[in-house]
Amino acid sequence: MECRILSIQSHVVRGYVGNKSATFPLQVLGFEVDSINSVQFSNHTGYAHWKGQVLTAEELNVLYEGIKLNKVNQYDYILTGYSRDISFLEVVVDIIQELKKASPSLVYVCDPVMGDNGAMYVPENLLPVYKNKVVPLADILTPNQFEAELLTGKKINTEEDAVKVMDLLHEMGPETVVLTSTDLRSKNGDQFLVALGSQKIKNPDGTSTSQKISLDIPKVDAVFVGTGDLFAAMLLAWTHHHPKDLKTACEKTASVMHHVIKRTITYANEMAGPGKKPSPAQLELRMVQSKADIENPSIAVKAKVIEKTSDQKL
Amino acid sequence: MECRVLSIQSHVVRGYVGNKSASFPLQVLGFEVDSINSVQFSNHTGYSHWKGQVLTADELHVLYEGIKLNNVHQYDYVLTGYTRDTSFLEMVVDIIQELKRANPNLVYVCDPVLGDHGSMYVPQNLYPVYKNKVVPVADIITPNQFEAELLTGKNISSQKDAVEVMDLLHAMGPDTVVITSSDLPPRLGDRFLVSLGSQRHVRPDGTRVTQRVRIEVPKVDAVFVGTGDLFAAMLLAWTHHYPNDLKTACEKTFSVMHHVIQRTISYAHELAGPGRRPSPPQLELRMIQSKADIEDPAIVTEATVIS
Repeated sequence: MECRILSIQSHVVRGYVGNKSATFPLQVLGFEVDSINSVQFSNHTGYAHWKGQVLTAEELNVLYEGIKLNKVNQYDYILTGYSRDISFLEVVVDIIQELKKASPSLVYVCDPVMGDNGAMYVPENLLPVYKNKVVPLADILTPNQFEAELLTGKKINTEEDAVKVMDLLHEMGPETVVLTSTDLRSKNGDQFLVALGSQKIKNPDGTSTSQKISLDIPKVDAVFVGTGDLFAAMLLAWTHHHPKDLKTACEKTASVMHHVIKRTITYANEMAGPGKKPSPAQLELRMVQSKADIENPSIAVKAKVIEKTSDQKL
Repeated sequence: MECRVLSIQSHVVRGYVGNKSASFPLQVLGFEVDSINSVQFSNHTGYSHWKGQVLTADELHVLYEGIKLNNVHQYDYVLTGYTRDTSFLEMVVDIIQELKRANPNLVYVCDPVLGDHGSMYVPQNLYPVYKNKVVPVADIITPNQFEAELLTGKNISSQKDAVEVMDLLHAMGPDTVVITSSDLPPRLGDRFLVSLGSQRHVRPDGTRVTQRVRIEVPKVDAVFVGTGDLFAAMLLAWTHHYPNDLKTACEKTFSVMHHVIQRTISYAHELAGPGRRPSPPQLELRMIQSKADIEDPAIVTEATVIS
């Protein structure tokens, strides 16, 4: 498989977020990963302390220029995640537009990281950049419920709302949308959270195929960092192998997440000791130890098709 | 296996040198790799163009401070390679000394990158820093012949010379020395090059024993970049699994190198086309594609124990 990804994300010396979270699993699955590190921090910002340096928009441009001058700016995928800087994000947009001109079949996988649980945790002025410039370029989008509501201006209270919001997101650009987590009630009870996915693919003959799925994902009583980054990377990988089968792609992605998270929480609890809450350092994803699950995830989460249509050509 | 490596090397957006060359194979072998990127360049400097930014000694210190403040500065190994900056290298030494105080069992694997084929390709003022500060804190070093001669002030014209040079290097600090390549005449013919290794350890009864090995590896008609970084990383891994058996550690390390290089040169020639010399981008190591060989290298080179 010759498949090259450009991933523009954070680097942490220790731990698994951003490029540290995305690169190893993609490489293990055989993808060539070119990585531009948007920051270099000692560790993620959930620890008691963190220190490091950020890449400016200008420096990002310089790195891209180097790739371009050598004529090696051909990519099959681009992957982006957490960003805090508008000018940086805007240079990312410029780069993606140029890369898409160079390879029209390039797939941009975008995690539109803005916030969660009702509050933004990036500067507010990133929202218009995501809404007007980034999302329109994206092919695969992985918002959580809050981000999906923010981008579309529509609240999600029912599964029907979620379906409408995903359709609104399709209209903004991406053919594939996965709501990575929602507050919707799971039929399996409150130990589960509901995720949904939607794919609306335009076929060469003008018709479109659409599939909508939902997944019940076991909740885990801990705060993990880097899981969103791992999710987007694995969704890239599994939609690559199952481009028209969102159900299977999501089952594999959610299953990898499940195995990694389970291994992580078990180890973290071991390290913390009985009755003690694990620390951020102890909760770092057990990425390297999960290699076998990453390579070949046994299905631990099943998806349900909730809507499947093929338009009739008029 | 709970084994954490701190690797302080370059990062390139595209390709496999420095941390890009060392991290994936170590992770694939189950090591936790914390990586401090000493530079971020678009690609290695053998391409027609390269662009990027360097980390200053101060910025390196800041990153280390972050790790220290969180009390997570416990490492089993430190790994360093190509550096161009004296103050950066001196900060690296300070960090290693502190880490060794925190963990006296820490093993520092050092590739003393100074030059090759008779000339230095780093600033000359790095030489005294390596000689007087870096090598003395190293436990495993992987100099080529030129670097070994430079560090010891002794020329290598025979295997006997090489053994003496390795003993001189042991006296400077490291218990494990591998001369990764030399001009010594191979017994297997001129399609091979000679590498040597030496490991010194103290037996339970207090006596000191030195195991020396000689390996002949097939030459490849191409210039690869990042192979030295991969070598040091894999020597770290295989000496970890065979701490008292340099022969086996070297056989595995040189065998991995062989598989990766063969895969790379085949692919490069395919891309370049018949009769054409492959370009630097085409010669990037086929690292990802070599995962199985990295995990479990079939032994293709045998090391001979020499006295």
